[in-house]
Amino acid sequence: MTYIIALILGVAFGFSLNKAGLTKYHKVVNQFRLTDMAVLKFMMTALVVTMLGVYPLRALGIITFPTVPATYIVGNLAGGLLFGVGMALTGT
Amino acid sequence: MNWLMKQLRKEEWSPYAAGVLLGIVGILTVVLAHALLGSSGGFENLAAYIGKAINPANTYFNYVMPAGITYPVVLLVGIFFGGMLGALSSGTFKFRTMDSEQWKTAFGKQTWKRWLVLFVGGMIVEYAAGIAGGCTSGLAISGGMLLAPAAFLFIAGMFASGIITALVVYGKKF
Repeated sequence: MTYIIALILGVAFGFSLNKAGLTKYHKVVNQFRLTDMAVLKFMMTALVVTMLGVYPLRALGIITFPTVPATYIVGNLAGGLLFGVGMALTGT
Repeated sequence: MNWLMKQLRKEEWSPYAAGVLLGIVGILTVVLAHALLGSSGGFENLAAYIGKAINPANTYFNYVMPAGITYPVVLLVGIFFGGMLGALSSGTFKFRTMDSEQWKTAFGKQTWKRWLVLFVGGMIVEYAAGIAGGCTSGLAISGGMLLAPAAFLFIAGMFASGIITALVVYGKKF
């Protein structure tokens, strides 16, 4: 059952990435060249929409949150810095 | 109905529209799967098979990212088919060895160059995701929507170095 849910969620996720154009090299790289803000618009819209859904649901006691990614300042930041290099090179 | 079909056939949506769809997926992920939308973790679960074959005592592949067909692996398969479905719906699905016109204009038309950078860059991305504890989807987006501080540290780092890298590789064409 978990697998079926994961598969459906994955398909919807991949579909939205494709429709946002994030499967294209130029979309991702041009975000870093600051000539096309699509990546940021897409990411931030998704964040806001999800927050609008999950925070009220948690406040009503219907759901609990899964474990969030651990915070370890140096690792998160260093990983992010290295990640950006790879992302801007490959456009993925 | 016609309107919906027309939207589905579009190659590209407004990023806001696609973002709303991802946002709904995000809500469903928390509600139905009680998990995050990570994709790099799936690669690591698969790589762990090779890692453990080479070094069975490896701590990382034994305890941090054990081998197995886990939830992120299945998610990864879904993402692949979802992207394919998106391309098929707009009629842009095609096998290609060179994927970008912009790359061609900027760095020349040699396919091997693009593939080499993809391979090396792919290693950097996956290694960095291992250090940070997630990638754009699993950490920045899923962590961000649950307001994990790690996500915002990661996003800050990613944009800082991404912009600098783009500046370096594009030079005057930035």
